[in-house]
Amino acid sequence: MNEQARSQEQNLPPTFQQVIMNLQQYWADAGCVILQPYDNEVGAGTNAPATTLRSLGPDTWRTAYVQGCRRPTDGRYGENPNRLQFYYQFQVLIKPSPDNIQDLYLGSLRAIGIDVDKHDVRFVEDDWESPTLGAWGLGWEVWIDGMEVTQFTYFQQVGGFECSPIPVEIAYGLERLTMFVQGVDSVYDIVWSRGADGVTFTYGDVYLENEKEYSAYNFEVADTDFLFQEFTDRERDCKKILAAGLPLPAYDAVLKCCHAFNLLDARGVISATERMAYILRVRTLAKACCASYMLHVVGMDVEDPGIAFAKELEEEAAAAAAALEAAEEEEAAVVAEVATSSCGVSGCSASSCAGCPSANIEPKEAPRG
Amino acid sequence: MANTETLAFEIGTEEIPAFDLKNATKQLATLVPQALDAAGVPHGDVAVYTTPRRLIALVADVATETEALTEVFRGPSAQIAFDAEGNYTKAATGFARGKGVDVADLELRDENGVQYVFATKSTPSKPVADLLPAVLEGVIAKLSWPKSCRWGTTSEQFSRPVRWIVALLGTQVVPVKFAGLEAGNLTWGHRVLAPGAHEVASADQLLDVVKAAYVVPSEELREAVIREGVAKAEAETGFKAELPAKTLTEVINLSEYPTVLVGHFDEEFLQVPEEIIVDAMLMHQRYFPLYDGEGKLTNKFIIVSNGDPAYSGNIIEGNERVVAARLYDAKFFYDEDRKQALDKYVPRLNEVVFQETLGTMLDKTTRVVKMTARLVSDADLFVDQARDIARAAYLSKADLVTNAVIEFTSVQGVMGSYYALASGENERVARAIAEHYKPRFAGDSIPADEVGQAVALADKLDTICGLFAIGQAPTGSSDPFALRRAAIGVLSILFAGFPISLVKAVEGSLEIYFRGGLEFDSGKVRDEIIQFFIGRLKAILKDEGATPEAIEAVLSTGVEEPMEIAKRVRALEEARKNQPELFEDLAVAFTRANNLRDASVGTSFKRDLLTPVEADLATAVTSAQSTVGKAMREGDFAGALAQLATLRGPIDAFFEEVMVMDEDPAIRENRLKLLSRMVGVFSTVADFSLLA
Repeated sequence: MNEQARSQEQNLPPTFQQVIMNLQQYWADAGCVILQPYDNEVGAGTNAPATTLRSLGPDTWRTAYVQGCRRPTDGRYGENPNRLQFYYQFQVLIKPSPDNIQDLYLGSLRAIGIDVDKHDVRFVEDDWESPTLGAWGLGWEVWIDGMEVTQFTYFQQVGGFECSPIPVEIAYGLERLTMFVQGVDSVYDIVWSRGADGVTFTYGDVYLENEKEYSAYNFEVADTDFLFQEFTDRERDCKKILAAGLPLPAYDAVLKCCHAFNLLDARGVISATERMAYILRVRTLAKACCASYMLHVVGMDVEDPGIAFAKELEEEAAAAAAALEAAEEEEAAVVAEVATSSCGVSGCSASSCAGCPSANIEPKEAPRG
Repeated sequence: MANTETLAFEIGTEEIPAFDLKNATKQLATLVPQALDAAGVPHGDVAVYTTPRRLIALVADVATETEALTEVFRGPSAQIAFDAEGNYTKAATGFARGKGVDVADLELRDENGVQYVFATKSTPSKPVADLLPAVLEGVIAKLSWPKSCRWGTTSEQFSRPVRWIVALLGTQVVPVKFAGLEAGNLTWGHRVLAPGAHEVASADQLLDVVKAAYVVPSEELREAVIREGVAKAEAETGFKAELPAKTLTEVINLSEYPTVLVGHFDEEFLQVPEEIIVDAMLMHQRYFPLYDGEGKLTNKFIIVSNGDPAYSGNIIEGNERVVAARLYDAKFFYDEDRKQALDKYVPRLNEVVFQETLGTMLDKTTRVVKMTARLVSDADLFVDQARDIARAAYLSKADLVTNAVIEFTSVQGVMGSYYALASGENERVARAIAEHYKPRFAGDSIPADEVGQAVALADKLDTICGLFAIGQAPTGSSDPFALRRAAIGVLSILFAGFPISLVKAVEGSLEIYFRGGLEFDSGKVRDEIIQFFIGRLKAILKDEGATPEAIEAVLSTGVEEPMEIAKRVRALEEARKNQPELFEDLAVAFTRANNLRDASVGTSFKRDLLTPVEADLATAVTSAQSTVGKAMREGDFAGALAQLATLRGPIDAFFEEVMVMDEDPAIRENRLKLLSRMVGVFSTVADFSLLA
């Protein structure tokens, strides 16, 4: 007897993993490609390329997937029953949006054990805008008995491009939804799985330690020098990849930038003015990835952002080469000068070297190997 | 009259946002009759019904055929209509084309002895059913939305996707087309109470079918249901509900079949400041809080559900869990926030942008503190007040970076006040932090004491002056920083008696910006700001009943200080009201003198050239010059007016007996000098020519 049948037999609500599997089954039956979670840090299911990039262009696309989402500033050291720095969304994207999509959505709630006829299900205005993605859409947050469980959006624009046809996005908050289905008040009390022998694992069993450690990491430990450098490196990398006309790997670099930025934000080292500048840098990259995707994948006649980036990188390289050359000349001059002094310190003359600190330095150990 | 039928038109949609729906309801009531009239379709009353999922227009007595029309138009005269060869000219063919008739059908007729061409246009009667698709499609296209979307593969736009259309003239379906849909006779019921399609046999039945499908079809009807339910809940609990207009509108337009339910939360959460709980309930959940007999918040609240009343227990339980989670968060934030003294949050204000060019909230705080110091010195307040004001100014924005305010934005100020008390600040400081945003809206009270008033003034002036300095004064409907409201707030506080010069305060605020390194044309910006305040002031004075001419008469003297302007306008209006004839007379005399006056001659008249009547006036003017001057210097504007009033007799006598424009140039010039002197005395008070 499988887990689902056991739950039903014992009159128990579905487990967390049953909720996920039922949603996957439901949307698979509705013709969606069931993807596995994207293997890069994202702040929301929307940011995975299967939604962001695939929203563009005229082709039909239908997908559904679980996505782990990282929001470093939302960490609460495992002490808040409703807030997590890592949580799961179930994301559905269908292009073009079907006429019966609201009914399809309500059907998905029934599929995970919510009898919508016995609850107050409402579609409450909530328009979505992502300045970093150059994207917006109109839709709702869906409430069940006052609890927001889903974001429902008709995308109008992504990466600065008008969507045509229009994709509809449905993003379920899996923990919220399961808390509702199981009637528990803390996310950590969610029953994740229930074995035939009665052994259950809760969300807390699986993730409480993770929340504690990552909250400490996000707020206290993450190395800010490293992250600032990572942001800059990934940004350059993204431009290089776009210059090569490869929007998919370039988009990965954007996601890395975003995550580095989010961690820096959690560490509290980004000032208000810097924040705007960083967001603009991410937006430039994200929009460039979308433009590159439109050009290279969709086949639309749009300006190639890679050309400008290639030029920028070339100029940067030329400037670096010039700087290097200047430095080498400088070095040569210093070496020449040092050759005339006795202790190896520039400007030192043998006669006044009594207090020269370098005199006491012991010879360095030769590197091994 | 031809036969008539009822027209039923329903646009079925996915859930339309509450306020957009309210607006569309109004639009529909004018668009439908307009469209019918424009198409020449005779019709009776138009009734509009809307819910989040449908817009319905019912039109009574729609004629099934339009009336046949014969219209005769007179065109150009024969002289113009025909050329030398007797052919129609361009003027004639143009006329025919304009009226939609063939040139050959133009007729010549005599009118008052002149020959004109005439066009006779006959519009035959047409079946209305043929006209309606275009008429109704036009209505859909003309509805305007603050935001609209596309969906699927359509290029048409609407607030939210349109899913069905019902269009019936009597029993006949009108084939209206929109976004890939074609109208039919099927409507959809309430999502869970009567799901699916419901057939509508005839236009007259649409409303009944919809009602039977658990849809309360208009805003008014749903409001009545909700108010009745609330009254019942109040009677059962013995508490009183608060129904703010905004939330009420949302709730009315968030359901098709509203049911009022009562939920409760754990009393433990009542330890959290009431304002947060109310914010969470009203803004986030659209619940109505319930208050006890003393006006204290209780742990009961009202839910308006769109679900099946048979499962109310379920629905209440779910909502209670949501509230508990929200309040748990609120309590968590409140407890967390109090672990640090409020002043520890101030440095973190550098993370919050006030305005890109004007810096962060920390920069603003620094300026506001400096500004309060200037206000304190101008108002000559006591040392302890000064200390409290400086402290309150320093702490006024600190709560913006606390968790509770980040999560529940509407409680800014209020939370700062709670945290100030918890951090050992005194009550005046705490209250000023809560109240410095006041007045928040038209008719709101101002801060209770001078501590709150000083911080409120400094904060608002800083916002106004900063945005003007960077060229972001409000334009038309665009006023993102609510500068108009801020200016009215400043004026209300000054009207209440806060004793400062606004002009000096504006100059002070600009100086603080200038010293902070902001570059702007200080003279120009200063004048713009003063004019901005005077603009608001004029509106306030007009609301009080002051006449535009009295306001302009006072302003023409160049007075800039708003409180002084207000005082003078009020005194002037008071004097005019009490002695209308006298002031009318003075104004006429002044105007006459002012018109005759020649500024180039100066004001030094020779006494020995004066006749007795002139001498009387000269004496009166000279005396008034000093008494009016003294009164004005002392700020006694009413006194100055009273002094001017004493001139009435001598002036009237002067104009009655004296011919100013005497033939003798010496006498004429002397009289003009006297008049110039007199005009000068009046002009320091107001421009009386505007009062004539």
